[in-house]
Amino acid sequence: MMWSWIPSNWSEIWELTRENAFLGIVSPLIGLAISLPLGVVAARWRWFYPPTLVFVNVIYAIPSLALFIALIPAFGLTDTTVVIGLTVFSLCVILPNVVEGLRGVPRPVKQAATAMGYGPLRRLITVELPLATPVIIAGLRVGVVSSVSLASVGQIIGVSSLGYLFIDGEQRDFPTEIYVGLFMVIALAVVCDLILVGVRRALTPWASGRNRAAGERPRWVLTQRAPARVS
Amino acid sequence: MLWDAFAGGAEGRWLITFEGVTKRYPDGTVAVDDLDLDVPDGKTMVLVGPSGCGKTTTLRMINRLVEPSEGRILLNGDDIRQQDPARLRRGIGYVIQQTGLFPHRTVEDNIATVPVLNGWRRAKARARARELLTTVGLDPALGKRYPHQLSGGQQQRVGVARALAADPPVLLMDEPFSAVDPVVRGQLQEQLIALQNELRKTIVLVTHDIEEAIKVGDIVALYHPHGTLAQLGPPERLLGAPADDYVAGFVGFDRGIRRLSFFRTDGLSLSAGPVLPATATAASALKTGEPWILVVGGEEDLTPRGWVPADRLAGLDADIQLKDVAADSFGHTFTVGDDSLRAALDAAVLSPAGVAIGVDAGGRVVGVASFDQLRAAVQAAQVAQDAVDAREILDAQAAQQGQSPGATR
Repeated sequence: MMWSWIPSNWSEIWELTRENAFLGIVSPLIGLAISLPLGVVAARWRWFYPPTLVFVNVIYAIPSLALFIALIPAFGLTDTTVVIGLTVFSLCVILPNVVEGLRGVPRPVKQAATAMGYGPLRRLITVELPLATPVIIAGLRVGVVSSVSLASVGQIIGVSSLGYLFIDGEQRDFPTEIYVGLFMVIALAVVCDLILVGVRRALTPWASGRNRAAGERPRWVLTQRAPARVS
Repeated sequence: MLWDAFAGGAEGRWLITFEGVTKRYPDGTVAVDDLDLDVPDGKTMVLVGPSGCGKTTTLRMINRLVEPSEGRILLNGDDIRQQDPARLRRGIGYVIQQTGLFPHRTVEDNIATVPVLNGWRRAKARARARELLTTVGLDPALGKRYPHQLSGGQQQRVGVARALAADPPVLLMDEPFSAVDPVVRGQLQEQLIALQNELRKTIVLVTHDIEEAIKVGDIVALYHPHGTLAQLGPPERLLGAPADDYVAGFVGFDRGIRRLSFFRTDGLSLSAGPVLPATATAASALKTGEPWILVVGGEEDLTPRGWVPADRLAGLDADIQLKDVAADSFGHTFTVGDDSLRAALDAAVLSPAGVAIGVDAGGRVVGVASFDQLRAAVQAAQVAQDAVDAREILDAQAAQQGQSPGATR
């Protein structure tokens, strides 16, 4: 470990971290934007969900590098290729949580809303989505953490990220660079995760004091899937 | 089937009318079978029956959570299917067992739901919500809390407040008190009765508990297991004149006793009884020749202290005062005029002397009633009530034979 390397290369490390953060944050946000309408449809028309889930899981099984390579003919060696790939992967994690979150809204609550004169759309936006928020954000957290981590793989097809430090460090037989890259990926993921926890607390003041993690049962968090992706 | 006639609501009119309503599910199950039912304006109608009898389906058809397969339902004379469901529902309060409160909104905002949907400004709706918290017997300070921070009974009160927020003429209540403990249930029932005396809403309440039906209902509709009515009438009639064995079985073994709660104690004759002040002597008590002496506080203070048996006094010093003799508890008293014959009979059963103590509103002894006096009052009240029931039943039959059902409305 050569500590002096860090300050002398800090501007490059910071630049790579920013690029990695962009890829790792924008992708799951797009994934969320797609998951919401899909999840609403799947929660309402139940037959739609099982085939969708199978499809989504098959896509999730594709190695990230293979997916990036498959996208190159269409989008080239660009950020777009990586963002699309990461969006698809995070969609796979977020969508089930949107569906489970909406399905987890207690029946009496939905029935009471209807009986008080809410139309279907108003009920969805003002009652069901707010109540599903803790579970949806739980999915988003996994999506963001895994995307931040996976973004580094994009370096293999030349899209700049913290992955550069792994490849460069390996080629120059310089472990310090690899350790710094690893540390920054993890730090970035932890920071993003903490921000999302803060967002959830701000959006769901009603859940405080209750079992805070009520919406985050292990079945929905799916954390065991994320590390598999990194390899 | 026995159809009982009874007067309509405040202006003798019907607010909700079911005309030949049937609900058949796709699997062939018939939840409600050709139901004709009129709900009078400003009264509480209780739908009661075993589970699966169609009472909840009946209720949910009123606000179109369930659509009938056949027949039609009129609200205030208009077919509800001609109205926009969301708009219709905002004019009908709805209370359910699981409360259905919105976990993500404060108690205040929960109550303000329908006013806000109707376009009220939030500040005004919240002010209304705080007002309603008081109406249902809760501290307005609870308004800032979230539903899960309240007890079950408090949540249920909030549910009632939410249903009342837009001041709808109709209130639908689906097993509203079934999920709380018996003590709280009793309080909520009392509260509902008090609220209803003040507000005069048209309430349709579903329960499986016949006690609750008899307690809160002006009219009780008792269902057969498969979506038809077994009997419709005021609760005292279900107890006094059950239409058939099914109804008699459903209202229970002690229906004779329970019917007494509908008879007032006005007609009960009282005796002055062996009532002596606590300062009286044992000798004067023995002189009455009564086996039990009722001791009151003093010459001026007529609140009862207890019963003293004459044989306990026999061996005592003649000058000893009654207040120095151990007295037996009198159980409870009944308020003459206000309390029912059931309360008076219960007081007699619990009394060691076998005599019920009648008091006035201030708790002062007015007189006592023996079993014989109670029996005479019960018989008189039953004869009078039976005559009323028989006349109304005959009238109803005549109306059914002579005219179309619609013409009686």
